[in-house]
Amino acid sequence: MKTAVIKFPGTTCEIDVLKALKEAGVESNIVGYKDFDPDKFNAVVIPGGFSFGDYLRAGSIAANTETMKKIKEMANEGKIVLGICNGFQILVESGLLRGALLPNLKMRFISKWVYVKVVRFDTAITKGLEKKVLRMPIAHAEGRYYLDNLEEAEKLAVFKYSDEKGNVKEEVNPNGSILNIAGIANEEGNVIGLMPHPERASFKLTSPDSQTDGLLLLRGLRK
Amino acid sequence: MTISLSSYELELIKKELKREPKEEELKVIDALWSEHCSYKSSKVFLRSLPSEGPNVVMGIEDWQDAGAVDIGDGYAIVMKVESHNHPSAIDPFNGAATGVGGIIRDIISKGARPIALLDMIRVGSLRHERNRWLLKGIISGIGFYGNSIGVPVVGGELSFDDSYTDNPLVDVACVGIVRKDKIIPSVVKKPGLKLVLAGLTGIDGLGGASFASRKLSGEDEIGAVQIADPFAGKIILDVTLEIADKVEAIKDLGGGGLAVAVTEMANGLGAIVNLDKVPLRVKGMKPEDIIISETQERMLYAVKDENVKEVCKAFEYYEYPCAVIGEIIEEPKIKFLYEGKEVVSLPSSLLLSPPIYVWGIKEDGEQKINEKPNVRIEDAIRNIVTSEDLVNKEWAYSQFDYEVGTSTVIKPGEADSALLLLPNGKFLAIKGDANPDLCVEDSYECGKAIFAEAYRNLATVGARGIAAVDHLQFGDPKKPKVYAKFVEAIRGISEAARFFNIPIVGGKVSFYNENSKGEPIKPTPLIVMAGLSDKPFRPSIEEGLDIVLIGITRDEMRASLFTKIFGQYGKLPKARLSEDLISSEIVIQGIHEGKITYAKDISKGGLIGALWSIITKGYSVSISTDAIITAEDIYSKLFSENGGRFIVLTNDSQFFTRLAEKKGTIARVIGKVTKGSGIYIDSDYYDLSKEIDIYNNYLEARL
Repeated sequence: MKTAVIKFPGTTCEIDVLKALKEAGVESNIVGYKDFDPDKFNAVVIPGGFSFGDYLRAGSIAANTETMKKIKEMANEGKIVLGICNGFQILVESGLLRGALLPNLKMRFISKWVYVKVVRFDTAITKGLEKKVLRMPIAHAEGRYYLDNLEEAEKLAVFKYSDEKGNVKEEVNPNGSILNIAGIANEEGNVIGLMPHPERASFKLTSPDSQTDGLLLLRGLRK
Repeated sequence: MTISLSSYELELIKKELKREPKEEELKVIDALWSEHCSYKSSKVFLRSLPSEGPNVVMGIEDWQDAGAVDIGDGYAIVMKVESHNHPSAIDPFNGAATGVGGIIRDIISKGARPIALLDMIRVGSLRHERNRWLLKGIISGIGFYGNSIGVPVVGGELSFDDSYTDNPLVDVACVGIVRKDKIIPSVVKKPGLKLVLAGLTGIDGLGGASFASRKLSGEDEIGAVQIADPFAGKIILDVTLEIADKVEAIKDLGGGGLAVAVTEMANGLGAIVNLDKVPLRVKGMKPEDIIISETQERMLYAVKDENVKEVCKAFEYYEYPCAVIGEIIEEPKIKFLYEGKEVVSLPSSLLLSPPIYVWGIKEDGEQKINEKPNVRIEDAIRNIVTSEDLVNKEWAYSQFDYEVGTSTVIKPGEADSALLLLPNGKFLAIKGDANPDLCVEDSYECGKAIFAEAYRNLATVGARGIAAVDHLQFGDPKKPKVYAKFVEAIRGISEAARFFNIPIVGGKVSFYNENSKGEPIKPTPLIVMAGLSDKPFRPSIEEGLDIVLIGITRDEMRASLFTKIFGQYGKLPKARLSEDLISSEIVIQGIHEGKITYAKDISKGGLIGALWSIITKGYSVSISTDAIITAEDIYSKLFSENGGRFIVLTNDSQFFTRLAEKKGTIARVIGKVTKGSGIYIDSDYYDLSKEIDIYNNYLEARL
C-alpha cells in the first residue's frame, strides 16, 4: 500500500515530502489533485505551499475541491491523513480537523527553526514518541491555532511549541497559538495536522544539528 | 504614456522606414530601443566583460534570457540578476514581488528549475518614515512571491545609505539547475514554428521598459508598475518545466511585453502575431496596449505544429490560458495584426539595431580631505557595531521561506555565503556583493574589490567561484561624471573576472537612478557569484579557539564604515587580486582539511566588523593589536577594509601560519574566543551587551 502526496495548484513542498518519505522508507507518489484515486492509497499527505494562491483564506479554496471529498472518505475509513502547514490549513478549512488557523500575531510570515514537544502518543505518527522534543522549521503567515474551547484544544493537541528541554512557555510561541499548539489530531488520531515541516528536518546535511527528527514522525506512515 | 525616444532617434526611424511610423509602431520601437531593453548606452563597454570559458554552456550571446555553466555530472547551473528599482520606488510591494517573478521566469525559460534566490536591498536610513515604508513593502513583496512560488530566498544584503532615499535598489538574483543536454534557447533558428502564449494580458505595466529607462518624474507613474500574481507564476513555473522538452524556444515576457519577446525570439527572422488571439484580462484593450503591456506571469513558447496541443493541454489542467497567437516567418518583419488589419509592420533589423551611444566621460577631481578624525577606540567600536549596515537582518530573512527545497545547508545569517546541496551531490555557494561607499570614491578599484569580495565570501564556506553575473546601477549616463564611474566600474570588474578566470554569464544595467533633487545614487555595481565545493561545511564557534588573521592589513582607511561615520581620511584601499586569491586558497584548504570551524572575510567594519559576527553569536573575543604587524595606525588595524583578508577560528593555528608562508602571505594568531559578550583589545575591555541588544532588536523595533 502506498501514500499519496497531493499536489494542488500552488503546492510547493510536494517534492520535499516525497524525498523525506522515501528517506523514511514510506512508499509514496505525487498525485495531481485532479488525478487522485483514494482506493489506490492507504494514507495521504497534504504538503505545504499556497494552494490556489491562498487567495481567499489559507487553504479555503483547496478545502472545497472534489479531492478533499475523497480525502474525507479516506479519513472516515480510518486511513491516515497528514496535513503539513498549508495541508493543516486545508484540513481545518475542510472541517476534517477542529479549530482555525489565524494570522500570526506579528502579522507577517515567519520562517525559523523551533522545538516542539510531543504531547499525544495515540496518533498514527506519534506512537512511541513519549516525552520527545523535536526540532523542526516553521514557515507560515497563518499558523496561530485557535479553538474557542480550551479543554477540547488541550485534548486534540499533539504538538506544542516548547524550548529545547520541552518546557512549554509563552516566550517560545512563535505565532501566538493558544496553549502553544503546533499541531492537532482528530479524536481517533488518524487525521493529523501540524504547522512545522517534518520533511525539512529529515536530512542530516540540511538540519542545523544534523538531526532528523522529522523522520520519527514520517515513519508512522510506513505500514 | 510617455515616449522616451529622442528627436534624433525619431529622425533615424523615419529615414530607415522611408515613411512616418504609426503611433503603434512608435510604441514598439520605444520599448525595444529603451535603455532597459537595448543597452544602448552601455553595450560598447559591456562587451569588455569576459563571457566565455571552458565551462560556459550558454553564454550571453544576443537575446538569451540567462547564461548557463557546466557543473559536472551532466548538470549545468543557470543564473541571472535583475533589479526592480523604479517600480519599487512607487509601489514597493508589487515592485519587489514582480522582481522575483521576472527573474524566476528568466531561469525557467532555459528549462532550468530555480533552486535559490538572493535579494540585495538598498534603502535610505530608517530614521525616515518613507524609507521604513519602502523597506517593509519591499521585504514583504519578496516574501510574498518567493514563498508562494516555492523557491527559497537563501541570502542577500540589506544596507542603508541616504543616496537611495527616493530611489531604493531592489536586486534579485536567481540560480537554477538543468540537465546540460536539456537547456532550451530563447531564440529560434528557423521559420514555421507556432508562437504560443500562456497567461492573461492586462492593463498593468504599460510602458514599463520605457519608464525604467528614464528618471522618476514624481508624476503619476503607477500604471507602469506591474501587479504580482505568484499563484499564476507558480503555474507558469510548474507547467513550463513539464513541457520544456516539447518546445523549441522559451521567452519570458518582461520589459516591453509582447513587442520585445516576439522580436527577440524571432532573432532576425520575422513574426506575425494576431492580437485578437491574445487572452485578455480586461475587455476592450487597445491593440497597442496589448503589444506593450508588461503583465507578469506570461510566457512565450516557439512550438512545432504537432506539439501545440500537448503544450496547451498542460496549461488546461490548471485552467490557465494558453493560445496560439502567431508564427515565426521567413520574411524579417515583425507584424502585429488586429481585426484583420496590420497595426505594426517593422523590419526586425530596425528593432534589433538601436543606435549605440558612448557619452561624454569626465573623471571626478581628486578629493582630498585628509584630516584624521580624533575618536576614542571605544566610541568608534560602539558606533560601528551599531550602524544600520551591521545590525541583525533576521527581521528581513525570517519573512522568507529559506528552507523550501530541503537543500539549504548554510542558512541566512550563518555565514558570508549561502550553501546549497545540488542534485549531483556537490555544494553550490552563492553571494552578492556591492560597495557603494568605495565606488563613490573610485569605481575602478570598487569593480575589482566587489568581485574579489564575492570570491572571498564563497571561500568562507569552502567553495571556489566558477561564474558570476553583474548588475550596474548608476544615475543618468549622459552626465559625464556618472558615465565615467560606470566605465571605470566595468573596467574593474572585467579585470578581476579575467584575473580569477571567472566568466560573467549575464548581467543587467540600470541607469537613471536619482533622488528627487536630481542627484545620482552612489554608483552601485553589484556582483553575484556562484561557486562549488564538494564538501559540506557548517560554521560553528566554541570557546578557546584561536582567531587567526590571514592576509595583510594596510593603512587604507578611505571609504570604510569608520570614515563614513567619522569623516574621510587616509588612502584608498587598492584591490590586490592575487592576495585575495592566495588568502582564499588558504581558507578553502583549511575548510576542506577540517581545520576551520568558522571563517569570515574582512569587509564592512574591518576587523571589528568581522569579530562582531562572533560576538553576536554569544562569545567574547580577545585580541592583541601587536600581532597585526602590517599596519601602523590603530584605526587601520581595527577598521581598515582593505581586501585580501580573513579571520578564521581554529584549534590548529600552526596549520595556517605555515601554509601562509608557503603560499606567499602571512597568517597570525591575533587572539582567542572566550566567554562573555564583549571585546578585549590588548589590556582594555569593552562590554558590548547593550550593543548586542541593539543589534538584535534594531529592525524589529524600527519596523
